[in-house]
Amino acid sequence: MNTLVQIVLGGVLQGSIYALLALGFSLVFRVTGVINLAQGGFCTLGALLVYSMHVDWGMATLPSALIAMLVTTLLAAVVGRVAFVPGLSRLTNSNMLMMTAGVLTMFEGLVLVVWGSQPYALPPFSGERPWKLGSILIQPQGVWVIGVAGIIIVALGWMLMRTRLGQSLRACAENPMAARLVGVNVPRLQLFAFALAGAIGAVAGIVVAPAIALEFDTGRLLTISGFIAVAIGGIASFPGAIAGGLLLGLVNQLGTAYVSSLFSAALSLGLLLIVLIFRPAGLIRSGVVRRADVREEARVWAHVTRISSSNAWRWGGLAVLLALSAPFVLDDGLLGALIITLILFLTLIGQDMLMGYAGQISLGQAGFMALGGYTSSYLITAQDWNAVPAILAGMASSLVASLVLAAVTLRLRGLYMALATMAFGLLVDSCTVGFDDITGGPSGMVGIPSLSVQGFDFDTPARMYFLVLALVVLVLISVAGAMRAGFGRALLAIRTDPLAAAALGVNVVGCKMAAFAISALLASLSGSLYAFHFHFLSPEMVGAPRSLELVSMLIIGGEGTLIGPLFGAALITILPTLFQPLAIFKTLASGALLAGCALYLPQGIFGTLLRLVPQTKGRKPMAREQAA
Amino acid sequence: MSVLQVRDLRRSFGGLLATADVSFDVAEHSLTALIGPNGAGKTTLFNLITNLFAPDAGSVTFEGTSLIGLSPSAIARLGVIRTFQTARVFPGMTVLENAMAGHHRLLRHGLVSQLAWWPRQRAEERRLADRAMALLDLVGLADQADQPATQLPMGAQKLLEVIRALLAQPKLLLLDEPAAGLNDTETAELAALLRAIQACGVTVMVVEHNMSLVMTIADQVIVLEAGRLIASGSPAQVQSNPRVIAAYLGEEVA
Repeated sequence: MNTLVQIVLGGVLQGSIYALLALGFSLVFRVTGVINLAQGGFCTLGALLVYSMHVDWGMATLPSALIAMLVTTLLAAVVGRVAFVPGLSRLTNSNMLMMTAGVLTMFEGLVLVVWGSQPYALPPFSGERPWKLGSILIQPQGVWVIGVAGIIIVALGWMLMRTRLGQSLRACAENPMAARLVGVNVPRLQLFAFALAGAIGAVAGIVVAPAIALEFDTGRLLTISGFIAVAIGGIASFPGAIAGGLLLGLVNQLGTAYVSSLFSAALSLGLLLIVLIFRPAGLIRSGVVRRADVREEARVWAHVTRISSSNAWRWGGLAVLLALSAPFVLDDGLLGALIITLILFLTLIGQDMLMGYAGQISLGQAGFMALGGYTSSYLITAQDWNAVPAILAGMASSLVASLVLAAVTLRLRGLYMALATMAFGLLVDSCTVGFDDITGGPSGMVGIPSLSVQGFDFDTPARMYFLVLALVVLVLISVAGAMRAGFGRALLAIRTDPLAAAALGVNVVGCKMAAFAISALLASLSGSLYAFHFHFLSPEMVGAPRSLELVSMLIIGGEGTLIGPLFGAALITILPTLFQPLAIFKTLASGALLAGCALYLPQGIFGTLLRLVPQTKGRKPMAREQAA
Repeated sequence: MSVLQVRDLRRSFGGLLATADVSFDVAEHSLTALIGPNGAGKTTLFNLITNLFAPDAGSVTFEGTSLIGLSPSAIARLGVIRTFQTARVFPGMTVLENAMAGHHRLLRHGLVSQLAWWPRQRAEERRLADRAMALLDLVGLADQADQPATQLPMGAQKLLEVIRALLAQPKLLLLDEPAAGLNDTETAELAALLRAIQACGVTVMVVEHNMSLVMTIADQVIVLEAGRLIASGSPAQVQSNPRVIAAYLGEEVA
């Protein structure tokens, strides 16, 4: 009995943190309709500021906490003013999601530059000696966490329900247009909500910091947990956010205690998937439904980037010639970076088909890379399979996983699709860590041989490079064939107007599934090649952060262009190799690039380049003659 | 011979009876116009036929097949193609690509041959592009073929939607206010286009407010008021029907 009470208490403690994070999400979502992935970044920043002031400079806890909260809030206000609020009027919700992912990465990069990558633990506010309540032990920090969470929840509730400011905020949430018409300054309130969410995030980070070790990427984990909590509870409702947080915390603690720590993660992800399938809007529905207008997407999708067929062959041929000479002029380090770029590009081609064409956000592509890489490596090292059948088996496993996932998530759109694919990626993550007798666990799988086909070993960088280059060219030409024909048109039609597409007889479900399956197959192939290239595969190489990095590459390069992601992949992979001493700025720079591209270059680097190059127009005169 | 039979179709939204026991037949190769004051339930009737919403009661039969319960794409595959009241061209695609998208259900070469650059698939693609260009030329949109479709003016977008629907080779074409947003010359062009479509053996049903257009092109006119069918027949019969006059001009004070 005591154990159970103890575990439930632990669950409430953890749940309070999730609930605080979820409140931040919910607040911003209700007022702006956007999921702010940067939420977890505020936590790390606030907590590390306190650490520096308290531990390094010897200030007392309370003043340093207040100052840290103020600084984080100010920073949130600046980000809100410069990026978030301007983006709201220009970007689709999915691009806003990407932009906040960029802001999160920027925060991580900032933390990395200032504090480095080592873990920090803040001393507990009221000592470490647990308090006894009968036979139950209570950590004093737990009381802080639960107490602070309670105070914030009550204060926020009072502010929303009882004050004029809260009334205006609720008006924004229910109908921004009408709110504007009756004289509410909507952008200012959106900024206020964003900054307030920053403040809540900072407080959450500060009170939880003594209980967990903080690293530069803890913000990402907190973001994900908060996001899951809010999705379970119901994103548009405050009680939902709180309930979701507590439920997630309880499931986590009970799972850890009675099953195992590996499966506690799997359990909460399972809970999320079940909620997404049966109650996509969350357990507690809000009376207010923000209308997700399909046609809203037109705002950003209106641009059309097309390369004429003759230009594509001409420039593509030139690029391949240039690429063929690379092994003879580049040193091994750069050639290695180029190989990685091309391997990732294979995944990105599929992801572009899925996101850029079909408009289905996937935040879990690395999960398919992991499935492919681990399956084929395991079959080769432990079962003595040949490389080709092993790769094919890996692709088959990804195909099956993608079809199951598609069947589950196809009803979901935009945000929820992103969430479900992210949950899938995390689930694969927890499996690669957990099944350590097969995968080698957190330290990874070693001794993966070079790729060898019919006795020919691709064991030098140059050989591997030519192989990957050939595969990329083949896949690119093939996929371009489909994207420029009926399948590509069907995907583009589905992206913005599935109903009108269905009314023309397009099989919407079938097309989405096909795009999903192809992207999974390509990611799987790329994951196998990745493992063969490094002779090693670890969860962090193909984990959730990798999924986000892939999305960055896609957005930075330019989605919906097939070629664009190559630019993104090259930028993020090769530049850090070229400028080794500046490698610590990589995360900061890629975050800034992602946020900047999402905001100012919606067509990415490649799309913008294309607009600068004059296009020859091959078809028109010819076709008109035939028409006449 | 009638291709479309609508019997006792009924649908209500909350307390509002949007379609009240409507029955009519559409003859093969005919052009039927659906008219009525705003809110009479014309678009709802289209939405019920194409099963965007399911009816509460009644039946819709196309060439002997019941459309009740079929998905919108299955209905499209039977050859029943519709356009929308507000033009719904696909953003992010060129004018030509939009038109070609209409032909999707009839493409003989699927994903695999597209991925493989199968020569016959490329040839089919070229033929389709040529046909689409010819049709675009017919409505004066060939010059803008490579423009993003959403950059066209609203009237041109509606014409593009008609072309897109035509490329789906409909047996029954349902057009929802195709003339809305068109100027007089464009409306005349549309009338010519509709007659040409009809001459090609396509059965056409059109929701329209423009009376002069309706009266010059329609074989049959169906008049709805507040969800009920109040008259049907040839343009001349309908024009002289006192209930129709009352619905449009208001009740005459005796």
